[in-house]
Formats: sequence, C-alpha cells, structure tokens
Amino acid sequence: MPRIVRKAEVAWEGSTARGSGVASAASSGAFTLPVTLASRIDQPDGKTSPEELLAAAHASCFTMSLGSELARAGTPPERIDVLCTITMDEVEGRGHQIIHSAIDASGVVPGCDAAAFAQAAEAADAGCPFSALIKASATVSVIANLEEGG
Amino acid sequence: MATERTVSATWQGSLLEGAGTIHKAGSGAFGPLAVSWASRAESPDGKTSPEELIAAAHASCFSMALASGLAKAGTPADRLDTSATVTFQPGEGITRVALTVRGAVPGIDAAGFAAQAEQAKAGCPVSRALAAVPEITLHAELV
Repeated sequence: MPRIVRKAEVAWEGSTARGSGVASAASSGAFTLPVTLASRIDQPDGKTSPEELLAAAHASCFTMSLGSELARAGTPPERIDVLCTITMDEVEGRGHQIIHSAIDASGVVPGCDAAAFAQAAEAADAGCPFSALIKASATVSVIANLEEGG
Repeated sequence: MATERTVSATWQGSLLEGAGTIHKAGSGAFGPLAVSWASRAESPDGKTSPEELIAAAHASCFSMALASGLAKAGTPADRLDTSATVTFQPGEGITRVALTVRGAVPGIDAAGFAAQAEQAKAGCPVSRALAAVPEITLHAELV
C-alpha cells in the first residue's frame, strides 16, 4: 500500500503566553481551530490544544484498529465507541510531558464475548500506530466493555 | 498541574466500508468530524484522519515551544508559520514527521533562529511523545 501523507499548518502570532495560533487541516480542509497556551494548560474556553488533537487522533486510530482486529477474529463490529483522555503533566526536571493516554472502548459486536472483546482491544492497542508511538513518553491504558445487543 | 483533554469517536461497520465520527471535543472547538478508511489511506475528500490530527497537534505544540524560547532569548516572534507533515506507511506505522517553520522575528539572525527551532523540536511535549518516530526533520527560515 502506498504511503499516506497528511499535513497541518499553524500560524502563531505574538508570545506564547499572550499570543494565539490557528491550526488548520492542510490536507483535508476539515478544520480551522484557534489554539492558545491558556486554553492548553487552563480552561479550554472553546479552544483546542495539542493534547486534545492527540486525543482525537488516538480515539479515531483506535476505533479503526479495534474494528480491524474484531473483523479478523470473525466477529465484525456493528459499532465501536472509544473515549480517549490524554494527560499532560509537569515531570520533575523534565518540564511538561504527555504522560498518559486512557482509552475506554465499548462495542456492539455480534457473536463476540467479553473475553474475546477484551483480547481484541489488547491486540488493537498493540497494533494501533498511535498507541505504539506515544509510549516513548506516555503510558497507555485500555478499558474494554462489550455492550448488550451484540 | 496536570491537564486532561478528552475526545470520543464512534465507528460503525467494517474498516473498509464503514465510517467513523469524532464527536464534539471536550473544549467544544471541533466536531463532529467525519473519518473513514478511504479518506485516511487514499484521498482525504474533505475528511480528517489520525495522521492529520497528529500533524496539527505537533505543529501547534512546536509553535508554542518556539514562541516561548524566542521570548526567553529576548527576541520574541511577531509571527510563526509552521507546518507538520506526517507520513504513515501501512504495515510499518508513522515513519516521518517533517516540520517547517517560517518566522518573522525582529532582532535575530538565521543561525539564532535555527538554534531556537532545534530546541523547540527537541523539547516540545508532542516531540517527546513522538520520539519513537524514526525521522523527524526540521526546516527553519526567517522571512
């Protein structure tokens, strides 16, 4: 499969503390978003931050990996819901670091039991490109819940 | 103080023919955004993807770190235009992030700007989280 290339752009004006930026999706045109330091480390106030964008990346990447694992196991999902929370914290002597990504996955999966769903979620964590990457500075936790109706 | 940011996504159907939604973000700044395998792996067709979101995260994190470094050095930036291009090789993962920055920065020379940009690339939290990416490149120029 050919390589996939995606680009985003940020225009920043002024200082970090008082300035502000605009992040835009250069490949798709799907978003144009204000970012500020205050919205990053204090209240979001309607503005996004690098960590929120990473949470969106991880949640969407994980849904695709989990769907792929379930299909491979012969139990394709009807629906998968993934909630991702990214935590950034100050680490002694190392400044701010992205330290954790918490994945909470649930799904409606005909023919799949709770154990098989949990196993697929573990395999998705191992196979999701984003999960693999951020382990350089962060831990990743995965909670998996199979919903009724599958 | 720790900061947390939460986003949820839903996928319905198979990987190739199904479709996903990134729901409204905790901040309210974006969403719902559509995602699909075709828009991720082939032509974007107006839809975002995990790689594009990573690119946006990295470009914004790098910009803040560089603006901070330049201000601390006594040469605050008027404006920084940053792009991040993420390359994903199916089967291998994310193989490359290319950062480019064009800065309008009074009182700094090209070497000083390049040095600050290198520091931002090395130190920003997203760079450190993505330290396992085999290749992160940087091109910095003053305008």
